[in-house]
Amino acid sequence: MWRGHELFITSLPSLVEYIPVTLFYFLVPTAISMVLGTVICLVRVGKRNLLYWLVSLFVSFFRGTPGLVQIYLVFFGLPEIFAIFGMNINRWDAGIFYVIATCCNFSSFVSEALRGAYGAIDKDQIEAGYSIGYNRWQCFWYVTAPLTLQVALPNLKNLEIDLLKGTAVAYVIGVVDVMGRADKIIALHRGYGQIWILLAAAVIYFLINVVIELVFNLLTEYFSRYERGLT
Amino acid sequence: MNLNYQFMIEDIPVVLSALPVTLALTFVSLFFALVVAVLFGACILKRIPLLRQLVVALNTFIKGVPLIVQLLFCYYALPYVLQMFDGFFGYEYNPRNPSYFGFAVVALAMNYGAYLTDVVVSSYRAVDRGQLEAAYSIGMSGLQAHVRIVIPQAVAISFPNLANYFMWLLKATSLASVVNVFELLATARASTAVNYAILEGYLVAAGIYWVVCILAERGLNLLSRRMNRYQKEPRAV
Repeated sequence: MWRGHELFITSLPSLVEYIPVTLFYFLVPTAISMVLGTVICLVRVGKRNLLYWLVSLFVSFFRGTPGLVQIYLVFFGLPEIFAIFGMNINRWDAGIFYVIATCCNFSSFVSEALRGAYGAIDKDQIEAGYSIGYNRWQCFWYVTAPLTLQVALPNLKNLEIDLLKGTAVAYVIGVVDVMGRADKIIALHRGYGQIWILLAAAVIYFLINVVIELVFNLLTEYFSRYERGLT
Repeated sequence: MNLNYQFMIEDIPVVLSALPVTLALTFVSLFFALVVAVLFGACILKRIPLLRQLVVALNTFIKGVPLIVQLLFCYYALPYVLQMFDGFFGYEYNPRNPSYFGFAVVALAMNYGAYLTDVVVSSYRAVDRGQLEAAYSIGMSGLQAHVRIVIPQAVAISFPNLANYFMWLLKATSLASVVNVFELLATARASTAVNYAILEGYLVAAGIYWVVCILAERGLNLLSRRMNRYQKEPRAV
C-alpha cells in the first residue's frame, strides 16, 4: 500500500489535542445523567401516578429510538420549541444540542440499570436502616444508594463505555471532538489515507476506554470493600 | 410549533418503504455476527494456542472503538481490499458501483461478532457439564452430543442476551446512514429534500423506530418464554 502510515503519525498529535473535548462530552452527560437517572429511577419504582406514566413514556422513547435520530431531533427540534417563546438559539454551539440529546438518552439507560439493581438488593437492609433510627434521607444515602450502585456497577461500566463511543457520533451535527477533528483532517486530504487517520482515532478511543475500564474496576473494588471477608 | 402535519402523514409510507432495508441490514449483520462469534468462540473454548490470544486481543480492540469509526473505516478500506481481489476467480472489481450495504454489514458483523463471542462462550460454559457426559455415556459421538444436547441448551440460555444485542443492533443500523446506505434514517432525510421539512422527516423516522422496537421487544419476549418452556422453574428474563 502507499505510504499512508506517515499520516497516522502526523495526524495523531492533532487528534490528541481534542481528547479534552471528547472527555468534556463524556463527563458532562455522565454527571447530569447520574442525577437525572436517579430521579427517573425513583419515580419509576414509586407509585403509578401520572408522573410515573409520563416518565415511563420518556424512557421508552429514548430507549426505543437510535441515538443518532435523537441527536437530529434535538438539533432541529429544540430551536423550533424555543422559537415559540421568541428565542433564537440557532447560534448555539452544536455541542450543547449533543449534550441535551445525550443526557435524555443516557439518563434513560442509567435509570433502567439502577431500577434493575434496586430490584435485586435485599430490602431487609433498608428496613434495618430504619430500625436503627435513620430517616428517609439517611436511609437512602447510607443504605439504598451504595447497595444499588454496587449491583449496578457492571452495567454502568458498559453504559459508560457505550457513552464514550457514542460521542464519536456527535460529529454528524458538527461537533469537533476527536472524531470531528479526524473528519476534518480527512476532508483536508481529499480522499487520501482516510483509513490511517481513522485508525489513529480508533487507537485514541481504545486507550480512553481502557482508562474507563480501570477506573470502574477500582470503583467496583471500593464498593465491595465490606464483602471481602464473606466471599 | 408549526409542524407540517400533512407532510408527516404523507411521509410515513415513504419512510416505511425503507424499513425492509433496515431489517435486512439488521438480520444479515446478525447472521454474520453469529458466524464470527461461533468461530471466535470455538477458538476460545477449544483453547487453540495462538489463535485464542489473537481473537481475545481483536475482540478487546473492536469493543473499545466506536462503531461509527469502524463503519467509516470499512467504507474507506474495503474498496482497496476488493481491488486486490480483482481478477480472482473471475471476480471483477467495479469501482463505479460499490456495495455500501455490504461494507456496512462487514463493520456491523465484526462489531457485534465481538460482543456475541462473549455470549457464545458464556452460554456454552453455562450448560451443565453432566449433560455432555450423559450424551457420551449413551454412545453419542462428539458432533451428535453437541448438535442434539449441548447447543440447544446453550441457545436457550443465550437467548435473552441475544435478544438484547438484537435490539442494540436494530438501533445501530441507523449509523449506516452516514456511510451511504439508504436505510430508514437516510430515506427519511432524503424524503424531506422536497420541502426542507427536516424535523418532520426525523420525527416520522423516530416514530417508526419506536414502534418497531416495541414490537420487536414484545416478540422476543414471547419467543424467549417459549425457548425456556422445558425449564422447570420460570426463568427471569
